[in-house]
Amino acid sequence: MTTNGAAGQIGRFTLDNGLRLVTAPAATGQLAAVNLWYGVGSRHEVPGRTGFAHLFEHLMFQGSGNVKKSEHFDAVERLGGDINASTSTDRTNYFETVPEHALDLVLWLEADRLATLRDGMTQEVLDNQRDVVKNERRQRYDNVPYGTALERILRLGYPEGHPYHHATIGSMADLDAADLDYVLSFHKRHYGPDNLVLTVVSSLDPEDVHERVKRYFGGIPARETVAEAPDAALEGPIGGPVRDRVVETVPAPAVFLGFRVPAYGDRDFDVMLLASAVLGQGQGSRLYRRLVVERGLAVDDGGGSADLLPFRYTPSLMLVNMIAREGVSGDTLEEAILEEVVLMTEEGITEEELERARAVLERDHLQSVAHPSGLADTIGSCTMLFDEPELAYTWPQRWAEISADEVVAAAKRLLGQENRLTVRFDPEETPEATEAAGESASA
Amino acid sequence: MLQTRPEPGAAQPYTFPKPQRLQVGGGSVIAIDVPGQSFAAIRLIQPAGGAAEPLDRMGVATLTGEVLEDGIHGNSSLAPALERHGAEWVSRVSWDAFVTGVDAPVNRITDATALFAEAVRTPALRADDVLRRREQLLERFWLDVSQPSTLASRAVGGQLFTGRYATPLNGGPVRLADVTPEIVAEFHASSIAGVAGTLVVVGDLSDVDLEALGRTVFGDATPTAPEPVTAPERAAGEFPRILLLNRPDSVQSAIFMAHHAPSRSAIDLPRAEGMSDVLGGMFTSRLNMKLREELGYTYGVGCRFDLRRDSGVFCISTQVEAPTTAHSITASLEEIDKLRTGGVTEGELSAVRESNTVGLPVTYSTARSLAYAMVEMVVHDLPEDHVDRLRAGFERVTAEDLRQAAVDYLHPDQLVAVVVGDAGQLEKPLRETGVGPVEVRDPETLWT
Repeated sequence: MTTNGAAGQIGRFTLDNGLRLVTAPAATGQLAAVNLWYGVGSRHEVPGRTGFAHLFEHLMFQGSGNVKKSEHFDAVERLGGDINASTSTDRTNYFETVPEHALDLVLWLEADRLATLRDGMTQEVLDNQRDVVKNERRQRYDNVPYGTALERILRLGYPEGHPYHHATIGSMADLDAADLDYVLSFHKRHYGPDNLVLTVVSSLDPEDVHERVKRYFGGIPARETVAEAPDAALEGPIGGPVRDRVVETVPAPAVFLGFRVPAYGDRDFDVMLLASAVLGQGQGSRLYRRLVVERGLAVDDGGGSADLLPFRYTPSLMLVNMIAREGVSGDTLEEAILEEVVLMTEEGITEEELERARAVLERDHLQSVAHPSGLADTIGSCTMLFDEPELAYTWPQRWAEISADEVVAAAKRLLGQENRLTVRFDPEETPEATEAAGESASA
Repeated sequence: MLQTRPEPGAAQPYTFPKPQRLQVGGGSVIAIDVPGQSFAAIRLIQPAGGAAEPLDRMGVATLTGEVLEDGIHGNSSLAPALERHGAEWVSRVSWDAFVTGVDAPVNRITDATALFAEAVRTPALRADDVLRRREQLLERFWLDVSQPSTLASRAVGGQLFTGRYATPLNGGPVRLADVTPEIVAEFHASSIAGVAGTLVVVGDLSDVDLEALGRTVFGDATPTAPEPVTAPERAAGEFPRILLLNRPDSVQSAIFMAHHAPSRSAIDLPRAEGMSDVLGGMFTSRLNMKLREELGYTYGVGCRFDLRRDSGVFCISTQVEAPTTAHSITASLEEIDKLRTGGVTEGELSAVRESNTVGLPVTYSTARSLAYAMVEMVVHDLPEDHVDRLRAGFERVTAEDLRQAAVDYLHPDQLVAVVVGDAGQLEKPLRETGVGPVEVRDPETLWT
């Protein structure tokens, strides 16, 4: 076991089959937060198979060799535990928080579906969860205003055929095309202990946790073949400005801007995260002060108009999003946002703004690790993506060393129009929308 | 290769942390020390929720909660000041309470609390700020109800009640427009500025001077009693019934089914919540198993009680693929009927008992969740061992209790189903369900 002096209490272990285990103490007692990061996400999908990593996440709750359909949920809910899962471009995440005495049961449930999922899978289960996911897609994308924004952004930000060109939810056609053989082969290709980071946050002794994890996971063999992800290499800017204009039933015009920025983990990613915080995170941010409070052009978003989509294995995206106030055209809002972006690159930022940005980011980070489940997730992320679980505690230090000049220089380099994508939504039946149905219109 | 399935041993006994209490000036401080929890949650509870608003001032509490963020200098000055301390403003107006607060690193709570207290007690309340916030709230309302699930949930109040509860909590788009800066100033002066309230503090308190925090927040404010509780009037009309809000071309329907329930103090919580868990409160509940895991109609469905000091509502909510809308409603009603007539299984009973007893360390694992529990205790006059009493109630609950709770608290004959979807596609099948009369309306005509 190795520990880091500052983080102090992290325990790290690697089982013979490659499983990486990390332990850390919880601030409150009597519980165990268990978090599994599998190194498989939508970046592993190929055209025609989009949405599969996420559909597969659903199938992981449908029973395995020794666990019946829905029994995994039942077991954890009986314990009053929290349970869920999520899929992103870069990983699939399963997590439970349970009373400490049930840690063994949760480890066994997770080990069983890792070792024997294929024994419990049926066509009926696949058909049912396909319907569930199609309804998830309707609920989050197709039946809500601006729901398709992310899909449109990714299409503009990454070229056709690139593994980040599509959203994790996938297309209806691809979901329909999913077949049982592919389900079984997907599990075999991606779900092995050698592709897993398991984090346990609890009050238990790390060696004790290690022994338990060895007991349940130690006998599961590593994958015979390590799956390769499609090539995600990408150089240079977006090649913009590029835009997608949507005229449909939405309550108000909305502007989404995107810029390619360095991969998550690179120093320049952190630099641009600070830039996004100066621009659009918190009510002290520029976009909130100028466009919400002073000029009254944008809807009050509470100070959440800019952020980064963190991609580890390809350039990430900085996104800026605002919705227009009544009587404000989409063009006016778009121009106003762009003015603020340009101002930041031309006039720079103050030390005070940078301090505020650091404080906002640090607050968000500390809040997420204040929760045992959030701490376990952050540790899993830092281990899977960087092999440094201690970063979960020390991450804010990365922002302390970045100067205002560095932020401005990176913003100048990365926020130009050649690196810009725009997705615009306009309501039907406005003069501007009618005019713009083809392309550009003026304010 | 695999180990046999382990049986969990006995759960460690859990007791909700005993709070420290102290009286500071006209207010009370209730604090829970969580050693090692470096992020603190601070909440001030004042008895000025939406339910107490006069009909000609509906939405004033919500608007005032928003305007406090403009701080003592106005012009949205509070949040940036807090941001520099790594702190975050919290404001939540419910039907029963006006709750404000701050989440902050525990080593910064003295400064963060001072800023928070100034903003609550002596805000600028500039007319320009009030008007800007009001217009923003009005526009936000329309944005929010463009989400079908939000539209369905906001429309239900008018189907169940007359009076204050018939209009959404923030006053809705018509009534809120009549709330002026003068009305906000009067409300603040009479219900917030000088009203001491109760301060909840949760976090690692080893270096925190609670009395000083209390003095900062309470100053010379005085205590006040909550408004007297009187039951609200119910809406007229035939029950059960369906209100279909037309949203053309929707590929999904948002369904919100609701009926009246007793108030928080009048309901037997372990029986009611336990029964609700079985019907739709858990992933493995009957509604979710039926509509999601068997029929594949939805991403999820749930039910819950919304319990207020003077009344309550029981509701089921889901979003389903449009062609399955009518059957989703009748299938849900069948599940209610089965629960009322057949009661629960032994497996369901044990799930209810266990999840509401051994899971408490998980439920109360953060400063925020502990603070939320304390706020509920203050708002509903609950004893400080309320969580332990509730746990004991769940330990005692029987299968017969849960069956009887289904009879006592589920009233499908009194239900209204609000459906947001494509009327052209839905009206006929909804009429054919025979559930009750179907009224089709344009959502924009709802708000008066």
